[in-house]
Amino acid sequence: MDQFNLEARTQRVWDINHAIWFTLMGVGGGVFLAGRILNLTEGLGQVLGIPTVDVVSFLAIAVGGAILVADLGRPLQAWRAFVNVRTSWISWGAWSDLIFLVVAGLLVLPALSLGGSEPFSGLGWDPHGGDGGGLALEIVAGVAAVVVMTYAGAVLARPRSIPYWNSPAVPLQFLLSSAAMSVAVVMLIEVIAGEPVSPGQMVLLGLLTAGLAVAIVVHLVTRADAPGKKESLDRLLRGRHRTVFTGTVLAAGTVLPTVLSFAGAAAGDARDALAVICCVLLVPGGFWLRLLTLRVGIFPPVHIPSTAGSRSTGVSLGG
Amino acid sequence: MTRWGMVIDAARCVGCQACTVACKTENQSPLDAWYAPVIEWEEGEFPDATLNYLPVLCNHCEDAPCVTACPSGALKRRDDGIVIADEEVCIGSRACMAACPYGALHYFEDRGTVAVEGADAEASPSVPERYAHQRHVRGAVSKCTYCAHKIDFGLENGLEVGVHPLATPACVVTCPAECRIFGDLDDADSNVSRYLAEHGGGEVLRPDAKTLPSTQYVGLP
Repeated sequence: MDQFNLEARTQRVWDINHAIWFTLMGVGGGVFLAGRILNLTEGLGQVLGIPTVDVVSFLAIAVGGAILVADLGRPLQAWRAFVNVRTSWISWGAWSDLIFLVVAGLLVLPALSLGGSEPFSGLGWDPHGGDGGGLALEIVAGVAAVVVMTYAGAVLARPRSIPYWNSPAVPLQFLLSSAAMSVAVVMLIEVIAGEPVSPGQMVLLGLLTAGLAVAIVVHLVTRADAPGKKESLDRLLRGRHRTVFTGTVLAAGTVLPTVLSFAGAAAGDARDALAVICCVLLVPGGFWLRLLTLRVGIFPPVHIPSTAGSRSTGVSLGG
Repeated sequence: MTRWGMVIDAARCVGCQACTVACKTENQSPLDAWYAPVIEWEEGEFPDATLNYLPVLCNHCEDAPCVTACPSGALKRRDDGIVIADEEVCIGSRACMAACPYGALHYFEDRGTVAVEGADAEASPSVPERYAHQRHVRGAVSKCTYCAHKIDFGLENGLEVGVHPLATPACVVTCPAECRIFGDLDDADSNVSRYLAEHGGGEVLRPDAKTLPSTQYVGLP
């Protein structure tokens, strides 16, 4: 039992499954948006008539959702996650996942090609958002995708129980990381499809990773002495997670991609290779950002005794 | 409006753990789940060393973060201020456990262990309704209810809550040092309100969390 302690206590509620879920949701929502913002839904290949970027997006969100459901204590009751939309960010997330999958699925459905035929081509909207119906579906799916990218951070940031999480910087980091990973994944798909990566895309990626670096650093230096957060920072910057945090999250996940992105924008010949390198760096960096955020979630003591030199002997259970 | 609350005079606690055991017995909480333990810690150095005790339990917060975070609506704050977990409705997301600053929620994980005899709904579907609070669902979260079943029983049968043993939380009834007092925080004449007034008000755990707990303390070390 590790509840009710007089010493800072690490949360053990959520770990790697949630980090994978958070990452996949971020990439899933982000790839859908990035494909449209960069105008790359067409021309990068199709799977059964559906743009590759959309297939990647749907798969990421479906797999992420499946991991989340499997991690529940009572997965057969998962439908109840939709109930408390009044206050629970998890409920908001569940609804946004569902709305995204349904609406974005509907959007691309007319393009679905099975055995040479397009059974849903008679649906009355353009799957690329070129008419009113298609545009409306695209906007709804896009809004849902933004919530999908953000809500995991909001789940962590809302309660005051864990000071390291209780900051708007956490959802901001998750949003920026999701956006950066997504742009990088879309560029990877672009390279695989034999299309050239544009300088503008590299500049966008550089701005996102630079913004992520700033968000992380601001979070690290804000309220750094608060009980609970101090212990979290000790683990990230000086303790067991220091190497992974500074190496994989900060250096490989923000600084290096920023440098490579701006270099790639200027250097035409190496741009595609640099885009692939950025993707290879950013996705693990984003995953570790989420996993370490979870792993350094520390509850401060329930009470700090007024007497200096007190030493907790833990929770005694009479034996 | 009634708002049930508990005042714990930590200075009176002798660390006997009778409350811990009484709660376990009353609620048949799952293995590893102790709803109302007593934290102890050392102070000073030999030969001037002492032990301090701090009884803890769910704070039944007015602004309960567990209720806010719960996606399924399994955690609810009743009109009388008691925060309860409906284990049948819980989906096991454990969002409440991450949101609670006190560590007052307990996940009944199936680790291949056997629950306390009679406590597992699957193992004992015939547990009569009067012991319904002793049923626990694997994969769900459970917690202290201030022995809401006893309070409800007392109110239904005209017993004075916080005074009559059948209408008072088990931990309060059993405490030999009378360091726990239970009553209506919204009633200025109640035992808890008077005790708080006599001691200049109460303190709460993790005041930084701003949860407005109904479990309050006097004599905190």
